[in-house]
Amino acid sequence: MNERRKFLIDDNPFVDVAACLFLEDIADKQGASGMNNYLVSLATSLAKSMPEEEYRTWDQFLDSLVKGESIISAFEDVITITPHCAVTTKCPFTKGWQEYTKRIGTFSPIHSAVAEYYNSVYKPGTINSMCIIHQTFRNAAADRIKVAGKPLKIGQIAAVWEDVNRKIAPDEWMPILLEKAQISRTDLNMILRNNADVWVMYTD
Amino acid sequence: MLDVALVSLIQDMSEKAGVEGTIQYWARVGESLAKRMGKEAYMGWPSFNVALREGRTAFSIEGSVTALTDLAITDVDGDVVGYIYALETCVFNPTIVRIRYSVGELPRADSAVAEEYNNSVRDTAVCNFCVIHQRFREEVAKNISIADQSLDCVQLANRGFSGETKITEDALKKIGINPEYVRSLLRNYACVYAIMMRGARLKGESEEA
Repeated sequence: MNERRKFLIDDNPFVDVAACLFLEDIADKQGASGMNNYLVSLATSLAKSMPEEEYRTWDQFLDSLVKGESIISAFEDVITITPHCAVTTKCPFTKGWQEYTKRIGTFSPIHSAVAEYYNSVYKPGTINSMCIIHQTFRNAAADRIKVAGKPLKIGQIAAVWEDVNRKIAPDEWMPILLEKAQISRTDLNMILRNNADVWVMYTD
Repeated sequence: MLDVALVSLIQDMSEKAGVEGTIQYWARVGESLAKRMGKEAYMGWPSFNVALREGRTAFSIEGSVTALTDLAITDVDGDVVGYIYALETCVFNPTIVRIRYSVGELPRADSAVAEEYNNSVRDTAVCNFCVIHQRFREEVAKNISIADQSLDCVQLANRGFSGETKITEDALKKIGINPEYVRSLLRNYACVYAIMMRGARLKGESEEA
């Protein structure tokens, strides 16, 4: 990754920590559902503020994705394992989380409680509040992208957090997700060793 | 990413709750962060300045802060009651660049928030992010004690992303620092502030009285 790209996807630990604490305050008043609503609207609003994209071919989209030119990879370093399997090499919130644990203490349990809420109400794919922002943003960004005239679709396969917690899609979803991603279960386990997120991209 | 997400909310928030609402929102974010970072106690200014240099104080979360030890603040008795500190790069500079490359432009509310803050709170903001910074530092200072005395943080000068500056001449007069000297500091630093003992009787204040 070049210096400019690293600079662009590096997070702002000052804001990340401040925002985490602010979210905790929201949860104190409105519970996990209120915090979840805030996270979802935050990520959706961000995606909506970004320009829409159209690609003539799938290859053109992949090229833009890995170069970080697409809105979907604007905030994360993405590599592709197959034409339909994308991998986020490092969670964009890592620096913020490290700063939080250094300066505030253990990550508040509300961040995982809200993820449980999200997993039960939306899709079971998040480990903590940061995953909600990340995954919601990715889906909302995909809604703004068309490849060969068709809307882009994203499916979360697995995530690993810095504290080694993992969240893998439910077993009954895996055959379809892995088939679309063109990877095996063994491939997935190998990818998860040194990456943060695995997701599938496709058009209908 | 979270920084850009929060900024993308500013326009919406300012349209719904007014720019005053955004000021309150940023102030609450800064205040909450400072309060949660906990208390710190130092034996004297040297130990505080070392902690700052090593990134151990709450002030260091903003990035590289230099204690300008040649600029000691003295009280009416000539005792050192504080120093001037300078933040090398505004923590929001990378955020602004990220906004430029992802969203495309800063929300229009950015300058409106800064303007409202300058009119209604104090004339020290060059952009909307100054609200969070300045509130954060004020609260952090309350949580730190040096030789059992709590601190005060006073905003002195700052330089925005596009070069605009704010210099608080009244505050500089109180602590006896020439505004032109502080202006020259802005060539190397983004933000200059004073940290001093709360309630100290400053030379400049006694001259005013």
